[in-house]
Amino acid sequence: MAYQFDFGQVVSGEYGQWILSGLGVTLQISGISIVLSLALGTVIAVLRLSKVKPLVWFAASFTEFFRNTPLLVQIFFWYFGSYSVLPEAVNQWLYARDFEFACGVIALTVYTAAFIAEEIRSGIFSIPKNQLEASRACGLSFLQAMAYVILPQAFRVIIPPLISQFLNLIKNSSLVMTIGVMDLTYMARQIEAHTFHGFEAFTVSTLIYLTISLIVSLGVNLYNRRVLHVRSR
Amino acid sequence: MRKAARLTVLACLFTLVAAMPALAGKLDDIKSRGTLVAGVKDSQRPFGFVDEKTNQIVGFEIDLMQALATRLNAKLELKPVTSSTRIPMLTQGAVDIVAATMTHKKEREDQIDFSITYFMTGQKLLVKKDGGIKSVADLAGKKVGSVKGSTSEQNVKKAQPDCTVISFETYPEAFLALKQGKVQAVTTDESILVGIKNSDDKPEAWDIVGEYISPEPYGLGVAENDSDFRDFVNAALMDMWEKGEYQKIYDKWFGKTTKDYLPLTWKMELWP
Repeated sequence: MAYQFDFGQVVSGEYGQWILSGLGVTLQISGISIVLSLALGTVIAVLRLSKVKPLVWFAASFTEFFRNTPLLVQIFFWYFGSYSVLPEAVNQWLYARDFEFACGVIALTVYTAAFIAEEIRSGIFSIPKNQLEASRACGLSFLQAMAYVILPQAFRVIIPPLISQFLNLIKNSSLVMTIGVMDLTYMARQIEAHTFHGFEAFTVSTLIYLTISLIVSLGVNLYNRRVLHVRSR
Repeated sequence: MRKAARLTVLACLFTLVAAMPALAGKLDDIKSRGTLVAGVKDSQRPFGFVDEKTNQIVGFEIDLMQALATRLNAKLELKPVTSSTRIPMLTQGAVDIVAATMTHKKEREDQIDFSITYFMTGQKLLVKKDGGIKSVADLAGKKVGSVKGSTSEQNVKKAQPDCTVISFETYPEAFLALKQGKVQAVTTDESILVGIKNSDDKPEAWDIVGEYISPEPYGLGVAENDSDFRDFVNAALMDMWEKGEYQKIYDKWFGKTTKDYLPLTWKMELWP
């Protein structure tokens, strides 16, 4: 069958608007989730290295649980499963708002945080142990030693693996369309359903994902080199 | 060695070219293959769904396809499709025909061809009984559930621009969202809503309300520009109607004794 390529239709007019609004949602959900998952991942990593046993157990089971279950299942769990757990009043309050978006953020954050926690933990391990002991000897508390001595060095080491976690998160964000969040992939599918020019719609969205990913990885690499003065090897 | 490789490539090309005319006519294809591959729904009572007891796909559209296969002297092979995969699967040739509650729309004519209308329905709303929603007008500011790739979500958005449409992958998911209160209504064709409503443990807790948001004539989807096959399908449909076979299948799935009762209120176009 002779297929008529028509990129003009997909990138201009009403459908162009759809792509833009989808891109906006993808950037929003990825941005919020990146910030939250980095914060949560750091907390989990520090908890796991603390001396308080229950905290260590909590952090370890959090990591293993969320790292070893499929993201799609987690998204459905938060979206459909929360109904049975939460009280009815809370549910109704949530559903009157943008619950779909919130579930997407929670799922992406928790899932990625589990991976980030592991990266950070390995980063912390790469810092010689006597630095922690020396800082404690100087009178810093465990948290102070972490915040001022260990973590700043650890982050420098783990920037490359962190970037790939962020990139994974941006790509994983396309899964939230299964619960009706109107992100870039959702819009591409909508355009396909309306125009049947799925090839063009998905080519455009692929290029957009690629561009976002390249910008993120370039940006972090630049920061790495210019600000942290780390040479890429 | 080189020469042998070149010869193989040439031979392959030759076979491809030789095979071309065979690909052109679906009718001959199906007859020589001995099977009719039909794309059908597998989670849409009573059109096409998995029977709990036998684990087979059954339903109104499956019986129609069986009647068509009999007329072709072919065995029927079913492939489950969804609202968003049915057209690509047809254009790629993965299925010969699509019988999957597909509305005959002008825009779809660019990609595929349609048979004459084999089922007539219209889009309505499924809501919680006494939930305060009686028509599309009551949906202002509310969330409505639908399914991706269907015409319903565009239609409801047009009829009530002030509502949020949340699209799911399948109707059972949309219905679950309605049950949990995540959406206040599910919108699609009345015939499908009847099936969704009756799939619940307590069908009486739900209501199908509103005027037709849009008419939805279903057509069988066939590959673009294959008029021999389309003529055959059209003739078969009209033959089924005239011989009363269609009405028998209809009664089996939508008759008074079934729980998906929907009176037959339209007539198939019959060419003299």
